[in-house]
Amino acid sequence: MADTAQPKPMGAHTSDSATRRDFLTIAAAAVAGIGAAVTVWPFIDSMNAARDTLAAGAPVDIDISHIQPGQQIVVLWRSRPIFIMNRNQDELKKLQSSNDVSLLRDPDSEVLQQPEYAKNWHRSIKPETLVLVGICTHLGCIPGFNPAPGGDLGADWPGGYFCPCHGSRYDLAGRVFSGVPAPFNLPVPPYRFVSDTMVRIGENPEGATFDFNSIVQV
Amino acid sequence: MRSLACLALAIAGLSLAGLGADAQEEVPPPKVSWSFAGPFGTFDRAAAQRGFQIYEEVCSRCHSMNLLHYGDLGPDGPGGGIGYSEAQVKAFASTKQVTDGPNDAGEMFQRPGRPSDKFVAPFPNEKAARAALNGALPPDQSLIIKARPDGPDYVYGILTGYKDPPPPGVKITEGRYYNEYFPGHQIAMPPPLAGNDVTYADGTKATLDQEAKDIVTFLTWASEPTMEVRKYTGVKVIVFLVFMTGLLFGAKRKIWADVH
Amino acid sequence: MAAPAQQNKVVRWIDHRLPVFTFMQHELHDYPTPKNLSYWWNFGSLAGIMLVIMIVSGIFLAMQYTPHVDYAFDSVERIMRDVNYGWLMRYIHMNGASFFFIVVYIHLFRGLYYGSYKAPRELLWMLGVVILLLMMATAFMGYVLPWGQMSFWGATVITNLFSAIPVIGHSIVEWLWGGFAVGNPTLNRFFSLHYLLPFVIVAVVGLHLMALHQHGSNNPLGIDRKGPQDSIPFHPYYTVKDMFGLGVFLIIFSIFVFYLPNLLGDPLNYEPANPLQTPPEIVPEWYFLPFYAMLRSTPNILFIPAKLAGVIAMFASIFILFFLPWIDGSKVRSARFRPIYKWVSWLLIIDCLVLGYVGAHRPEGWYVVVGRAATFYYFFHFFLMWVLGKVERPLPLPTSISAAVTAKGGGRMAPAGSRPMEKP
Repeated sequence: MADTAQPKPMGAHTSDSATRRDFLTIAAAAVAGIGAAVTVWPFIDSMNAARDTLAAGAPVDIDISHIQPGQQIVVLWRSRPIFIMNRNQDELKKLQSSNDVSLLRDPDSEVLQQPEYAKNWHRSIKPETLVLVGICTHLGCIPGFNPAPGGDLGADWPGGYFCPCHGSRYDLAGRVFSGVPAPFNLPVPPYRFVSDTMVRIGENPEGATFDFNSIVQV
Repeated sequence: MRSLACLALAIAGLSLAGLGADAQEEVPPPKVSWSFAGPFGTFDRAAAQRGFQIYEEVCSRCHSMNLLHYGDLGPDGPGGGIGYSEAQVKAFASTKQVTDGPNDAGEMFQRPGRPSDKFVAPFPNEKAARAALNGALPPDQSLIIKARPDGPDYVYGILTGYKDPPPPGVKITEGRYYNEYFPGHQIAMPPPLAGNDVTYADGTKATLDQEAKDIVTFLTWASEPTMEVRKYTGVKVIVFLVFMTGLLFGAKRKIWADVH
Repeated sequence: MAAPAQQNKVVRWIDHRLPVFTFMQHELHDYPTPKNLSYWWNFGSLAGIMLVIMIVSGIFLAMQYTPHVDYAFDSVERIMRDVNYGWLMRYIHMNGASFFFIVVYIHLFRGLYYGSYKAPRELLWMLGVVILLLMMATAFMGYVLPWGQMSFWGATVITNLFSAIPVIGHSIVEWLWGGFAVGNPTLNRFFSLHYLLPFVIVAVVGLHLMALHQHGSNNPLGIDRKGPQDSIPFHPYYTVKDMFGLGVFLIIFSIFVFYLPNLLGDPLNYEPANPLQTPPEIVPEWYFLPFYAMLRSTPNILFIPAKLAGVIAMFASIFILFFLPWIDGSKVRSARFRPIYKWVSWLLIIDCLVLGYVGAHRPEGWYVVVGRAATFYYFFHFFLMWVLGKVERPLPLPTSISAAVTAKGGGRMAPAGSRPMEKP
């Protein structure tokens, strides 16, 4: 059944109508192709975060007045755990003195893991209040809160965060220790003080610009 | 001849469509000319805002609007909202008390609303609504316009179709009211509007007719906020398709020229 | 177009191991097709494209939909309001179902009119009926998913049909439901099956096309191709014609999607399902209306209760299609040359429209009478076809396709003695 049809070969017409047919055919095919390509975009875009998802990522206000010195609370912002800790005077003193480079991988917060207003020895706006994204920069587990020095983690454990999954350690400013699997300091999210007792996670202070998407590793 | 028959068939077929709820003793609602009707219709935003004011001050006492978030009214809302600014939306939302929780004591608590919150409902659940309203359940308004045939005209008819006293010979059950356009004529909702029920923020005179038209505009927006985007996209798509089909027709004729 | 497979080293390498390119060249490019196909032959490719459109839009909708009774309705509204272009995907899928049926019904009636179900295309036809059944199951389950009032009550009515089966009917219904009534288990399994069946349809369409390519397309004259002068290669002739037809179809489809998206639907489905409140009228989507009419029109017949008779009539109306190649024994395929059948076949179309109209109304008064008459005529029509197959005297057929085509563009003359169909 292998009929091959034999309509008049294309070149049998005058060259004029042959080029016209070619142009028309090519134009039609090109336009149809463009139409098909443009149709793809809405489907891809539908997979982007929807309006309600984006709205739910809006800043959240947290009342920090009831956090005792030395205590931490964990809240959610954009589905991520946020550590808010009230550091006491002893802990702050220890932080100021322990810039020992051999212990910490990035003591001066050189890598972009925090906004400019948190690039200081206490990695925060106010020294007493620490705000961190509680996701280990190794493979994403949530580090445990171990502020007490010594204990199970060894005599020279200064107090900080210990990640149970693979043993990464961070100090009480979220800076990562050398020799642990995690490569970077714990990230600091954009935040500001709405009042002395109210912190808004997800919004920069007046005049500051910081895009959370620009950090190296959540 | 063949194509005429096919056209007749197509029309017959199409007239079968949309047969849905057939009219039995229903009176067709009055025909109103709406700004959003037709292929190039848009929402009159001033009317939608007035309608929202009516919803807020009158209807929301009984009717929930579960599918809308406060932020939908503003520029981040679907279809770009009804013209309120983000500041207005935030301010409005914060006047509402929203249930949140549980807190660390395990209790639910109230907090001021945010744009991402859903509209607060007047009753916590269906049974509470029925208990408060003699067994009647006010339907949620988020989709009411789409859930009724000729939705906009129908709702306008309901709002303006109350007759007190009812026509002679009609017996009204206790707790019901005579309405010209409600199927069966006996509606459980007391007339919600009488004219001058609100003082419009933009100074428009609040006649019953005006209020009814404004609330219908708002409700139509609420039931499909993306309507304008849909119609506008449709223009672009159909113009493109007509152009593309024209080219393809030309290509078809050229390619088939040697066969015919 | 250049000859196959010699063009490109990569093409040749692949083709030598998996002959996709030779396959496409043979089946889509060179494939000989009768040169006289009319626009009624566009609807097959349109149906295939609608299947693709439904699957693609459905997959993206499924990314956002939640198949649980407490969330389904709201998840669909979230798609309409919050998901980027969600309204577009939903309206495409919703109206696409209607247009898929429009295309398939026209495709089916084309087959009826031109005798495309006759030898050697009986299996091709039967596979098509299988596709129709799968489409109907898929569409029924899909309509339940938004969990509106019509979704719930339509599901209740149709699943309750199976209780008409004597003895085991009730157990079957509770098995279908996964409970004592339509509920969450029902919704979940309908979602699973609704996602599955379209791919079963794809497989059956594959078989349908294999059967088609075995003997090639029928044509408006209903006579076989005699030689190469009767056919033209599928590409570029029918590719461009199909593309043009697609363009026209998409314009009409777009008018519905963008400007009349709810015309073919029922407003009541925009109300969340309420198991404690039955709507005043339970009406299926328009493409099921004729079958719904048959279902409700039957009276008690002898010892068969009316409900069971209705179920039997409804299923029989489709199953009878399987036997059509043997019911209609006429040796002539195309109604063009069957002067009586030509007009009788229109009666079936009118009958289906009448049945559809009846199905949209409550079975009261005149609707019952008309519904019963129309149901009776539907089955009587096939009896008529059997009779006509035996007694009708067809018009003389042309000698060949090309002869008919060259003699005034599709002419109808020929000397006697032309053979319409090859013996199988």
